[in-house]
Amino acid sequence: MEDVPKSMVASAPALTLPLDRKGKKEEDRELVRLSQNGTETAFEELVRRHQQRVFALVGGILRRPEDVEDVAQQVFLKAYLGIKRFDQRAAFSTWLYKIAVNECWDYLRKKKVRPLVYEADLSEEQVSRLDGIVSADRPPESSSARAESRQILERMLAALPEQDRQLLVLKEMEGFSVQELAEILNLNVNTVKVRLFRARGRIMDVYRRRMNPASKSADSHSAQRKG
Amino acid sequence: MATDTEFGNTACTNYEAMLEDYLDGALTASEARTAEQHWQSCAACRGALQQAASSVRLLRVAGPSDGPGSAFARTVMARIRSAQGDLSAERAGFWQPLVRLGWRFAATATIVLGALVSYDAGWGRHAQPNVTTARLMPVSDIFGPDPAKAPANRDEVLMMVAETNHAK
Repeated sequence: MEDVPKSMVASAPALTLPLDRKGKKEEDRELVRLSQNGTETAFEELVRRHQQRVFALVGGILRRPEDVEDVAQQVFLKAYLGIKRFDQRAAFSTWLYKIAVNECWDYLRKKKVRPLVYEADLSEEQVSRLDGIVSADRPPESSSARAESRQILERMLAALPEQDRQLLVLKEMEGFSVQELAEILNLNVNTVKVRLFRARGRIMDVYRRRMNPASKSADSHSAQRKG
Repeated sequence: MATDTEFGNTACTNYEAMLEDYLDGALTASEARTAEQHWQSCAACRGALQQAASSVRLLRVAGPSDGPGSAFARTVMARIRSAQGDLSAERAGFWQPLVRLGWRFAATATIVLGALVSYDAGWGRHAQPNVTTARLMPVSDIFGPDPAKAPANRDEVLMMVAETNHAK
């Protein structure tokens, strides 16, 4: 068994986004080669490097925090079992994220569940708190406040079509690039841009309705009149 | 031409991708100038861009989701090892009936072979003719009439007389 070069082993357990993407990709290639030759520590290093983004991706699709870890583990298990067949024509990350997306759909199909939908509406207090955070234009400092903001946002995002929600979450909340999203979701880059742009308009519309319930009731009245 | 979506967002269809790139800071300087010139004259695109810019602020308030714990990689490797163990047990399980059948066949064959060898050895000893006795017996004893018996016909009488004379 070959050893993993010490320079490649992350000192911190959590992944930090690479400053030098090209160098990181080259290191990934080497780690993949070692893993293909049966070096377990090389694969463990790949897990450390990509676990954060796999979690983000799986969480962005499933929206069930209790299932994310299990599915993420399954993603890496499948990657390990299939790594000998991976020909390295694409980046390891792209290949891994595609496994993650497929695993999420499989999981949802097997469990026969739709991604979690928040039925409850937002309270006035929550809405005004979120408005304060948006106006301040910076993320809340405490983790509990961040979690609450996320929950409120998730409720608003649930009002959007599933693909819009996923694109917005993965792009704006989890930091995936348009290029990455196109590769992962098997879409044309331009299609991703157009869908993202339209989804932005939709989420702001939902936000405005939540902030100003009068417009919501006016909308419903006009919809009734149209109907 | 501006498009109306289900949620009321409006923008020129052929500028939507460009507006997204503008928000992302992915346009070149000349492309950005073209886009700016367009929405100076297009209120729909201007409004859509403002709305999209607000969405960036809104969606980033929560920040990225929490990552896995520090033990995640170790847990994954443990799960991989366990899955590999299950896999090899499964493979062994697949061949197990054949292996068992093979052993049974080998045992039966050994028993049968042993029985055959011992039977062959025992039967051979009983069935072998007494060569020495056969060799010492004179020819006349074989073909001649039994002396204890009385001659039954004329030929035997003649044979007996001839033998008696020959012995003299």
